[in-house]
Formats: sequence, C-alpha cells, structure tokens
Amino acid sequence: MPKRFDQARPFLTLALVGLAWLLVPVVVKTFTRASFFELTAPLSVAPSYARDLQEYWTLRLHTNSELIEAGRDLARLNASYEESVQQNLSLQAEIARLEELLRLPAYADYRSEHARVVRRDFSGWWQRLVIRKGQNYGIPVGAPVIFAGGVVGRVSEVHTYTAVVELISDPTVRLAAVVEGETQPISFQGGINTTFDPPKGVIEFVPLNVFASSTMPKKLVTSGLGGVFPPGLSLGTITKVEPSLDGLYKTGEVQLDPRLMSLTEVTVLVPRNPE
Amino acid sequence: MRRTLVTFFTLLLLWVLLAEVNHGLGPAHVYLFAGGLFITYAALVLPLRDGIAAVMLAGLVCDASAPVRVGTHLLLFAAAHAVVFNIRDRLPRDETVARVIVALLLNLGLFLALSFALIGRGPAPGAVWPRLILDLVCSQVFIALVAPWFFALQARVLVVTRVERDPLA
Repeated sequence: MPKRFDQARPFLTLALVGLAWLLVPVVVKTFTRASFFELTAPLSVAPSYARDLQEYWTLRLHTNSELIEAGRDLARLNASYEESVQQNLSLQAEIARLEELLRLPAYADYRSEHARVVRRDFSGWWQRLVIRKGQNYGIPVGAPVIFAGGVVGRVSEVHTYTAVVELISDPTVRLAAVVEGETQPISFQGGINTTFDPPKGVIEFVPLNVFASSTMPKKLVTSGLGGVFPPGLSLGTITKVEPSLDGLYKTGEVQLDPRLMSLTEVTVLVPRNPE
Repeated sequence: MRRTLVTFFTLLLLWVLLAEVNHGLGPAHVYLFAGGLFITYAALVLPLRDGIAAVMLAGLVCDASAPVRVGTHLLLFAAAHAVVFNIRDRLPRDETVARVIVALLLNLGLFLALSFALIGRGPAPGAVWPRLILDLVCSQVFIALVAPWFFALQARVLVVTRVERDPLA
C-alpha cells in the first residue's frame, strides 16, 4: 500500500463516517439515541439503588432511643400536617364555590408522582437530572417537576424506566413568572451557574414599577401562563433589577433555591386530563 | 470485533465512574469532562478499525445522555481519533507520560469545541466562561490523576480477555 494513502487512511475513514452520519435518516438517529440511553440506563440506576441501600444500612445503625425520638418528632409533624390538610380542604372547597359562582375555568388537576434522583448532571452547558420513573408510571414529556422549595424544572425526555428533567437553572429553560402578589408577567430564564455558588437565573421584561435588591428581595413565582406550571409555585428570589438598555423594561437576577443542587427526591405533576 | 467490544466496555466503565463523580460534585457546581480519556488509548495503541469503532460507540453513549444534537460526540471523537492516529508513529506512544499528555491535549480541544458549540444557548454567554474554565482545570487535573490507571486497566483487560498477548509473559 502506498505510504501517502496509508497516512490519509484515518481521515478517509473519518470522511466516510461523517458522510454516512449525514445520510442516515433522522428516525434512525433518534432510535440510536434512545437505544443507547436504554442500554446505559441500568448502569445509571444501579448506583442509585446502591446509594439507597447504603443509606438504609446507615439508618440501621441508629439506636432504639434515637428511633423513638424521631418517631415522636414525626408524630408532631403529622399533627401539624393534618391541621394543614383540613385547612387545604376548606380552601379548595372555597375555590370551587367561587369558581362556580364567578363561572371561572377550573385549574388543571395533577397527580403527584414522587421519584428518586438517579443522576445529577450539572455542567456549565446544561443542568439535568435523571429520575427513576418513566413511561412505566405514565410520566409525560413536559410535565412540571417540583420539590419542597418550589419548581425543579420540567420533564424533557421520557424513557421506559427513567425520565430526564431539565432544571430551571438550565440555560435553555424559559418560563413566564410573576412577582408574588402581582399580576404582570415576567420572562424567566435559567443559566448562570458559577462554581461553589447557588444557581441563578435572569429575568427580562420586568415592569418599571418593580423594585428589588439583595437587602429588599422579592419572591418570584410561576404565573400559570403557558399551561405547563400551575400558578404560585416558587422559582426563587429577585435580588437585583436594573433598567434594560432600551429603557422600556427592567432586567434582573434571580437567586434560585440552593437545595436544587442536592436533590435526592422530586415530585412530578402528571396532568390528570391532558389536552 | 472482540477488541472493539472489550475496549468499548472499558469506556463504558469510565462513563459510569465519571457520571458518579459528577453526581457527587453536583452540589458544588463542578463538572468533570474527560472526553480525551475516551480516545487516547484507542488512537495510540489499537488498529484503526477497532479503535475508531470503540471510540464511536463511546461517542454514541455520551450523545445519548447529553442534550446535544445526535452525533456531536460521535463526530468529535472520531475526528480526534483520526488526528491522533495519523501522528501516533511520531509520538513515544508506549510511554505513559506521552499518553497522558495526549489525553490532556485532546480533552482541551474537545472541551473548547463543545463549549463554543453550546455556549450561545444561555442568556449571558460571557458570564459562563469563568465556570467553564474552572471545570476545564478540574477536568485536566482529574485526567492527569486517573489516566495512568485507566490506560493500565485498558491494557490489562485486553490481556485478560485474550485479545492481546501479555507483554510480560
């Protein structure tokens, strides 16, 4: 074989690979991607089960008196939650009565599906979680995901036994928000995730009458516009607003909940009557 | 074929370990990228067909778990493999130090290529660079520490599975 051809062989192979990849139909590429995700899913899920087992054996080391104390604390918490459930029921009845009286459209109804976090994937390029429930629990693409501190993100991919959640700190996530207690919509986008700092997002199209600073922060919640997230879920705290370049609106910075980065369990809101 | 599969399984192991490390580092907002490690041994030691096939399979695994256009990692890994394979006879490729340096340079190139491809998606691309640079530094330190072990593992697995002959035998 001529030496010149031998030297060009790696690049000829590369050109062939590139050409073949360009000519492959999108369906085949999508199928390949899904297949490789499913192929590696057990490898991702197995360590999460191992972590759970590790946690279980750690808990087994607690003494009986510690468990009795924990049980007592839980009983107190349960009592206060029962009271909250009663209040919630009466408020829901009140909302239903007002909706009927004012002929308002009812809020979307959701089923809560709790899921363990399998893998966190927080790079400067993307911010994602893999959770341990997927098509097997009827989780749809686009479903909102929440936790005790507010919004986590939305489901971006659903696989057989797992699903991928795009966090609100991901640069590509955009959603409509409002300042708590107000009605003017604001555009929220995630994306500033500096090392060792809590995640941040940015807000745009903030009305000129909104003022906030680190000493006088304001809470940002979901607006309910767009139909993905129910209204009133916490997104974060507005710590800075300043006039935009055109002077018509303001832009600002939102501090997201630092617990977003260490989640071990989330709740997927699955719409009961998807449109 | 056997050489390709055995090498691919070592790359799969690397992918799992890296995912676990990144899972643990998530709360600190540090992310390790080790694309260079996926390519170096295959490009420096294996024959062209076996090496590029293993590297492309690893690229498909990385593509499946990342929100990028399908084929991004595959083509980047294949291109990096072609470049290193072309110059490997001019490198002291049997020496671990040389292999580690190749892995570091490859990782730098791949990290920058991915960064330029993906950085435009965010609201403030300029503000992301300090984070990316710190991630790159951490990734390079990680590779420098892990690469000798990983190359030894790849060589040993090929011997244990009787794909290669034991050089010490």
